[in-house]
Amino acid sequence: MGIVNQTSRIMQRLLEIITVVLMVSLTLVVLYAVVTRYAWRTPSWYDEVAAIMLVWLTYYAGALAALKRGHIGVDGVLAALPVRVRMPIAYLSEALFIGFFLVLGWAGLVVLDVMQGMALITLRWVPLTFTQSVIPIGAALFIIAQLLSMPAHLAKVRSGLTQEEEEIRHAIAEAERDNARAGFTADALTRRDQP
Amino acid sequence: MTLPFMIIGLMGLILMGLPIAVALAVVATVAIVVYQGVEMLPNIGLTMFEGASSFPLLAIPMFVLAGAIMNTGGISKRLIAFASALFGFIRGGLAMINIGVSLFFAEISGSAVADVAATGSVLIPAMKKRGYPSAFAAAVTSSSASLAIIIPPSIPMILYGVMSGASIVQLFVAGIVPGLLGAAGLMALSYYYARKYDWPVEEVFQFKRVKQTAKEASWALTLPIIILGSIFGGFVTATEGAGLAVAAAIFISAVIYRELDLRTLYKAIIDGGQQTAVVMLLVAASALIGVFLTEMRMPQQLAQAVLALTDNKYVILMMLNVFFLMIGLFLHSAAAIILVVPIVMPLVGAAGIDPVHFGLVVCLNLAIGQQTPPVASVLITACSIAKADVWSVTRSNLGFIGVLLFILLLVTYIPAIPMALVEFFYR
Repeated sequence: MGIVNQTSRIMQRLLEIITVVLMVSLTLVVLYAVVTRYAWRTPSWYDEVAAIMLVWLTYYAGALAALKRGHIGVDGVLAALPVRVRMPIAYLSEALFIGFFLVLGWAGLVVLDVMQGMALITLRWVPLTFTQSVIPIGAALFIIAQLLSMPAHLAKVRSGLTQEEEEIRHAIAEAERDNARAGFTADALTRRDQP
Repeated sequence: MTLPFMIIGLMGLILMGLPIAVALAVVATVAIVVYQGVEMLPNIGLTMFEGASSFPLLAIPMFVLAGAIMNTGGISKRLIAFASALFGFIRGGLAMINIGVSLFFAEISGSAVADVAATGSVLIPAMKKRGYPSAFAAAVTSSSASLAIIIPPSIPMILYGVMSGASIVQLFVAGIVPGLLGAAGLMALSYYYARKYDWPVEEVFQFKRVKQTAKEASWALTLPIIILGSIFGGFVTATEGAGLAVAAAIFISAVIYRELDLRTLYKAIIDGGQQTAVVMLLVAASALIGVFLTEMRMPQQLAQAVLALTDNKYVILMMLNVFFLMIGLFLHSAAAIILVVPIVMPLVGAAGIDPVHFGLVVCLNLAIGQQTPPVASVLITACSIAKADVWSVTRSNLGFIGVLLFILLLVTYIPAIPMALVEFFYR
């Protein structure tokens, strides 16, 4: 259990850094394109590179979401079933998740093989094997994230808690903390009518 | 024959607790193996890449980030103070401020829950403190936050634009009049309740306070005007406008207000990236099933089947309304748009319905769906902030849901309401 927690903390930190780097560079690329369009002209690589960065964000930040079990789903029905039925279904659903990403990872590797020697259209020095590597790597990250978060998730399923309740509780706690730090509270808002 | 199997399979997998994106991908993978053969399987590696590499969807991470910075950098705080000085003298003013604020800030990030939590966690307790019933506070927050789906910028609208091929800018413009009408309706109803139950006035109207808060909020106020203005004026695309919004929000929070907390910003960026990825994985997975459905010509078959029954545009709109209301009961708005819109678009086109007009109809239906359990994350978030139970909130919410339904009918059957501005500026 200790090792699982520690590994998932390291993985979370790593994926968070990648996410921030991708988000920040994506913003810079978009802003650079706006500025250059009015100054001279948009760089030819803008569309292609920005779209690829979005794909990378999808899989790296998506693995982070998987680690936190944050992908949109419906788990109320499962939670309503008796434990004896609920647990086998939960195991099956974990297996299907991992099974799909195994297939995706394999497919990604086949695609990489086919794309040997090809490059981006606008940036000839960037090989497609580099941009497309996100699929097999992303699939592997999803699988690892799912495995690392599995013990805690299964315990939660067993106890009958749903992800939605968890997410809402988390969002409210976070918003309250952020607002309090910014001095933005119900007291501040209602006290104002006193002269 | 194939479609019912796929729908049942998909429903089954989703109810098993598999994330919707993965459930879609699993169904698509099985369908590809069964109908096209194992040798087509490597294609999923390509499609899951291509599906997520959509240039217009870049607007999503940009808007999400801008919203997060506005929330952390003191911008929303000042806008709320200004609104409160301006409208606080009206009876039930806090309810109206809540409506205005929720409309503006909700649906700005990928997570409706996080948006409602951000503003609701201040406004709902404030309303309770001033003597509003907690069920009413939760109801007004929930319905106005849901109406925000048609107020630009809105992530579901961007998704609809990409899925249907309709212009995102035109969708934003089409949302203005119905959004204002809806806001006016919600506010009028709050005013009626406030008179009936004698709820308090927030503050006396003081020109001095209006001037003071306006001065403090002036930078924050220019932000949406510049950004939406440059998008509507055609100077920048929606994505670039969103990028500008990020830059402007950072500038205003860091340089003007000096309230940008780097640790909070770092967290906001991570949350934004993650929310984007959640939506994008759904988009990628839907591309997988989309390629398959298109090859099987299923959306076209659906269009033919419906058109064989009737070719009356208004009857078809009514059928689609009922259909999307049902979908909204069971699916989150992003998932509903990504799953269903590509399938019904050929029907919408064949019936002669304008895709921009239809976008408004879809989004309003999903907004109403968010008000009703079982899947009603916005409502449930508002309830749990207010510490009120879902049923008493729903009772208070019935009037507001009525307003939303009325707006939906107006938008559906008087296309000029959403489309007049679009026609005037763009066609």
